[in-house]
Amino acid sequence: MRLIIRDDPASASSYIANYIINRIKAFAPTPTHPFVLGLPTGSSPVLIYKILVERFKAGEISFENVVTFNMDEYIGIPREHPESYHTFMYKHFFSHVNVHPKNIHILNGNAPDLEAECVAYEAAIKAHGGIDLFLGGIGPDGHIAFNEPGSSLASRTRVKTLAYDTIIANSRFFGNDLEKVPKMALTVGVQTVLEAREVVIIITGAHKALALQKCIEGGVNHMWTLSSLQLHPHPMIVVDEDATLELQVKTVKYFKSIEKVAASQGFEQILPSAIRTGPRPQQNHVDPTPAVKEEPSIQAPQPLTSTLLAAPATEYPLRSHSPDLIPDRMGARIAAY
Amino acid sequence: MPSAVPTGREKITKFTNCRLVIGNELVAQDLWVSSATGKIVRSQEVFYGENVVPDTTINLRGKIVAPGLIDVQLNGAFGFNFSQIPEDPSTYGKTLRQVNKRLIQTGVTSYLPTLTSEKIEVYHQALPFLGPSGTNRISEDGSESLGAHVEGPFINPTKNGIHKVANIIPAASLSTLTTVYGTHLSPTLSPAGVLLPPKIKKITAAPECGSMMSLIPEITSRGIIYSIGHTEATYEEASLAVAQGATMITHLFNAMRPLHHRNPGVFGVLGLAESLPRPYFGIIADGIHLHPTSIKIAFNAHPEGFILVTDAMHLVGLEDGVYEWTNGERIVKKGSKLILEGTVDKIAGSSITLIECVTNFLNWGGVSVPQALAAVTSTPAAMLGLSATKGNLVSDADADLVVIEEEIDSNGWRNLRIDQVWKFGSKVWDREV
Repeated sequence: MRLIIRDDPASASSYIANYIINRIKAFAPTPTHPFVLGLPTGSSPVLIYKILVERFKAGEISFENVVTFNMDEYIGIPREHPESYHTFMYKHFFSHVNVHPKNIHILNGNAPDLEAECVAYEAAIKAHGGIDLFLGGIGPDGHIAFNEPGSSLASRTRVKTLAYDTIIANSRFFGNDLEKVPKMALTVGVQTVLEAREVVIIITGAHKALALQKCIEGGVNHMWTLSSLQLHPHPMIVVDEDATLELQVKTVKYFKSIEKVAASQGFEQILPSAIRTGPRPQQNHVDPTPAVKEEPSIQAPQPLTSTLLAAPATEYPLRSHSPDLIPDRMGARIAAY
Repeated sequence: MPSAVPTGREKITKFTNCRLVIGNELVAQDLWVSSATGKIVRSQEVFYGENVVPDTTINLRGKIVAPGLIDVQLNGAFGFNFSQIPEDPSTYGKTLRQVNKRLIQTGVTSYLPTLTSEKIEVYHQALPFLGPSGTNRISEDGSESLGAHVEGPFINPTKNGIHKVANIIPAASLSTLTTVYGTHLSPTLSPAGVLLPPKIKKITAAPECGSMMSLIPEITSRGIIYSIGHTEATYEEASLAVAQGATMITHLFNAMRPLHHRNPGVFGVLGLAESLPRPYFGIIADGIHLHPTSIKIAFNAHPEGFILVTDAMHLVGLEDGVYEWTNGERIVKKGSKLILEGTVDKIAGSSITLIECVTNFLNWGGVSVPQALAAVTSTPAAMLGLSATKGNLVSDADADLVVIEEEIDSNGWRNLRIDQVWKFGSKVWDREV
């Protein structure tokens, strides 16, 4: 886990924007080998999009060969509704940059068969060789996409009923009328996110401090779905100071020192090259999930730990990109005689 | 050749880094227009729905994009007087087309060609040419007529201005109107069987003369705007005219009784008295017809009804001197002043461009740029009942646009400079070409 702490939301956002730009450049995407980017909506990423747009307009980055997949969309509101996630993405990002609309994937909340829509979405992700980088944010209850507390950590793209809290929170965008707030959404699952080759999460603000604490210092728990990130080989969480309010001083200092030491040694917290450039055709495609894997379903449940913990060993870097957090060992606590 | 040569390939143009005039705001937002449909594109819908991306992107570097300007009172331009039938009447249409191509370069993308009080033959000869001209949606045609404005001849002879008294007649009945205006008062069927609107879009008349008061509903029922003007109407008469369906006042203050505190005259209907809807009103902001403060008072009385008009004569842009006027009379042009020859101060219309009126109002009125531009875009479009297609930067409206740069000189004077003009989604004029 990489935890990057910045002073304020602006510098946290600019860190991520830079990171994404560098990743795309290093990837050197082509029409046949596009960079596949997972994208969120919400208030936290707005600033990231703004910086990406500025950098695009300054000619520093092109999204021509970038394929995007969005996390979620409401069910039953028109695509052009001012609060739809289609509109959000158009307004904040797509209308300003050169992502071609045919490369854009957003779940269709008005599809005649919503279940088929979800299956097709997962298939589209697979057809593009999986997601190279999934950018995300979280809710104050630690949810990622619409995977609210209690969501299966093995979940995939599906129809989701919104939590009452979320409906109330969203009503401010719908004239404070609960009746007008969509009650359901389509969302990628926790497992869909975890299968991305890299996951980058932005968390800013004091109201998300508890969620960050649960996800970093707590255990893997479906009540804080982001905590599942602990099982991902290459996660990164970028936060501002306010979001660290609930963390132990020790945790904050630890992650800050890692970044500092690494930088002083010229040892960036980089990814292994296979992840950085994506699965090139000439290389052996590393499937992040076992080749023959039956999807868990209600009819045929499968032990989750096997998939969650079956991190593809071949994907691990040969050297660790950063020292692991080792809280003091039990032995150290026993006085030596 | 100022107009863009269409290559047939450029269909959708995206304006970026621009500020759109929307309501009372300048909104930093992109705008997509299509030269194929001539309309403003629902960009998000075609982007997601049809995978459409712009063929051309124009970076405007912070300039303002406003709807094309609309002049609802223009008597002529570039030496051509709409009310003057040439010796060879067959040249009228040709000259008019040339005027339209030059007029659009001033930012006026649509207008009401205006006829003063004339002999009956003039109406019969001119009106066939002056009806709505945008049905074919050809950007190269230049400025588009939204229909003719007939200012007279049913006006009050004592408020004739420069209209020739001999031409003024009282409107005895509907048949008087049809005798004068001919068939142009009614919708017609096109050869293809499509119902076309009347050639006349607006009539300025004095409600107190003849039976005009009772004829107002006859006029408005045909989709024609009735405008109070050149009138001795009292406040009561003007109110009655509004109740009958008048929705406009022609050049407020000019050619009508002044505001008196015991009889507010026509101006009084702008007050919220008698719970009548307040009409729109035209204002000539050339610095000659009206004092800047009068303009400000009128604006503050009813901002949503405030329309700037030029009332410009065909002498716009010509040298100082004495020029032929209709019916053998002559006009003396001195600077931007036009005086009827032989009189001391009979103002004979103006020779100002519409964007100059906007600039004057912007500086005198202490208003914002969007407010000043509304007086020549969204407000006249609303008055004409054309809000969905003209005067507004909304999806599916006609892509008639002006690109404006705001400059402030050393005296603090704010100048609006027109840099580009677009008609039906194609660029027809560029300052830099």
